[in-house]
Amino acid sequence: MKKTLTALALALAATTALADYPEKPVEIIVGYSAGGGTDVMARTVAQFLEKELGDGASVVVKNMPGAGGQIGFTETSQAAPDGYTLGTFNLPAALALTYDRDADYDVSSFTYLANFVEDPNTITVAASSKFQTLDELIEAAKADPGAITLGLSSLGGNDHFGANMMAAASGAEFTLVPFKGASNARTAIMGGHVAAGTMTLGQTTSFPDELRVLAVLAEDRSPFRPDVPTAKELGYDVQMSSLRGIVAPAGLDAAVADKLRAALSAVNANPEFQAMMAEQGNPIAFVVGDDFAATAAKQNDVAAQIWAETPWK
Amino acid sequence: MYSDLLHALPNVFALTNFAAVVIGVIAGIVVGAMPGLSATMAISVLVPFTFGLEPLVALGLMAGIYNGAMYGGAIPAVLLRIPGTPAAVATTFDGYPMAQKGQGGFALQVAVVSSSIGGIASAFALMLLAPPLSKVTLLFGPSEVFWVAVFGLASIIFLLGGNPVKGLISACFGVFVSVIGSDPIYGNDRFTFGQLEMLDGINIVILLVGLYALPPVIDLLETPLKTDGVNSSNLGTEPIWKALPRMKYWKTWIRGSLIGIWIGILPGAGGSMAAFMSYNEARRTSKHPETWGEGEPEGVAAAEVANNADTASALIPALTLGIPGTAVAAVMLGGLLVHGLQPGPMLFRDNPDIVFGFMWQFLFGAILLVLLGGSLATNSFARLLNLPRPLLGSVIIVLMLIGVYSIHGRMFDVYLMLGFGAIGWVMDRLKFPLPPVVLGLILGGFAEENLRLALRIGRGDPMILFQNTTSLILVALTIAVVVGPTLKKRFIDGRKEV
Repeated sequence: MKKTLTALALALAATTALADYPEKPVEIIVGYSAGGGTDVMARTVAQFLEKELGDGASVVVKNMPGAGGQIGFTETSQAAPDGYTLGTFNLPAALALTYDRDADYDVSSFTYLANFVEDPNTITVAASSKFQTLDELIEAAKADPGAITLGLSSLGGNDHFGANMMAAASGAEFTLVPFKGASNARTAIMGGHVAAGTMTLGQTTSFPDELRVLAVLAEDRSPFRPDVPTAKELGYDVQMSSLRGIVAPAGLDAAVADKLRAALSAVNANPEFQAMMAEQGNPIAFVVGDDFAATAAKQNDVAAQIWAETPWK
Repeated sequence: MYSDLLHALPNVFALTNFAAVVIGVIAGIVVGAMPGLSATMAISVLVPFTFGLEPLVALGLMAGIYNGAMYGGAIPAVLLRIPGTPAAVATTFDGYPMAQKGQGGFALQVAVVSSSIGGIASAFALMLLAPPLSKVTLLFGPSEVFWVAVFGLASIIFLLGGNPVKGLISACFGVFVSVIGSDPIYGNDRFTFGQLEMLDGINIVILLVGLYALPPVIDLLETPLKTDGVNSSNLGTEPIWKALPRMKYWKTWIRGSLIGIWIGILPGAGGSMAAFMSYNEARRTSKHPETWGEGEPEGVAAAEVANNADTASALIPALTLGIPGTAVAAVMLGGLLVHGLQPGPMLFRDNPDIVFGFMWQFLFGAILLVLLGGSLATNSFARLLNLPRPLLGSVIIVLMLIGVYSIHGRMFDVYLMLGFGAIGWVMDRLKFPLPPVVLGLILGGFAEENLRLALRIGRGDPMILFQNTTSLILVALTIAVVVGPTLKKRFIDGRKEV
């Protein structure tokens, strides 16, 4: 009897919570400083999410930069799961750093709401490079193991994993050079200081005359660059990308989670939102709820495997 | 491309766009003048608010703030020996002695005119030479940048002051601080004591505020009974048009502008290195180097022209390649991204009105500096220093706390700053020079990161560092800077003996 009552009370509380939600500002924690790609995405989503939640709802972005996003991810994971604290979530970076250092969260610390952006990695060389195709590059890497340098944005991120997976799939050996950030890596490629790089496709779009994209590390060709083959087409089954989505702390009330997922789906369906994201150069790959959780789990396995085979520190 | 430049001009004069620059310059001077508040901080606070603004209004504000703050930093540097921004450290060398001699007003006028000239030169470089100069940036890979850092570190030799041993200890302390945080290649924690807040290393502003601002404030508070102003009301101010003919620093201005522009297009080093190098060069070539450090106006001119000359030029690699030349340019890049403006050659083709308008705003910001900075700083702002000492000291402490807290919004940084303040106070009392610490922190990390990248590219072979012309030129320059003065001295002494 007591049990039923409690259940009833809880159910009632949940419905009232849902009916009133949100009754105070919703905060989205961004683990990077204002003006970065993730921050801009969060602010764009926040703007549209306010409308979808309706009733004068307010969605505020809070930047908590530091430690490669870890400070922000930790803050989100440890917040109360009441729907008033959400966070941006970057894959594979957020989970990769649970392997290479002590983190206070793991893949199970979050309620996965929706992923918005998926930017596939590539194999890219300077336009002036002598390598015209992926095969030529891999040939050279095999002929003199380690002679081909790959510029990365960092170790323990999608650039790095893409490079490792490419090496494993082709049997070639590369020298990895982790720069501070994608722009520095890109500049080093353009200046001929490293032979190639694994930057994401989004990083290449502003430099069509300076860079040559040899392959996209995705299942299918990108609608942004239909002329570039996938690595899979060329015989190397490698997929890696950078994902950005919105999560909440684990244990979020199912009704609130559903409401947020529905609202985020409506945001994604808004053509104005799509236009704004396209203008910012963000390729949208909307994945909601359990599918997003499955993606995170898969990325977690990739990070775990690479960490086990070739730990980077 | 030049027609695009002219085409962008009318829009810049739209009322809101122009007002943004004016407000930005004034705000920048104020922010720069407050110890602890820097241009980087002001612009990063501004970025989220610009989300709803027109692009040119947002960018105009930022251009104004950047220009204003680079000069504003000189105000407390001259009057209190507290650099308002990292780039104003070299301004203290001669600016403060001038203020002590009752020439504070003239020092500020030299600073504002020099800042303005540097800013104008830099804006022209950005407007006319951005694409070719971005090619120069491409020449600088890890090994070349490593040598730039070594060259900068070598210039510390000039900053050692009377006691080289103490100077070297200071420099080593700076380099040590640069080691704190996760290492640049593998991300291993170094001296972080498990604190997440220290993983990214020590922010230069935290070190600067603690080291430079706290000791003078303690001095101010140590004499609470004396209630007079710092340099009393005697700033020695005369109208700026009367002061102008006394400024004959063309060589220094041209040299400082070129150095500033050059440092600006190289990623990472920034305004403080430009100011140090310009100061060194100007002193080295001066006919009377013995007066430097004792209140030589040309020293103020050299430092201030260079730290403004790297403002617009730091945006050249930022706009064309996405790699900011300074910390301020990095946050400005964020401001561009907010408006969907992606750096790269496409930016110039797709949004010429905005990009070129932004460049014009830089130019006007630099010109406005003389008008606004001249009156604002010398007539009103500097009067703040007539406040009773205990009051002034308390105000500065509050500003320091707010400024440091607002960098990341956490108390941890405030405690860190107070810790550095204690170290700075001890160093100050024991007469250890502080500039080498700042330069050590900036260039130490820069040198390490690029050395390790270069060695990785070379697969561990150090010969990679000597494999191209740019590197070899930089090596030769470094040797010249280190050995040159000794040889020159020996040569002159040798002649005397004959």
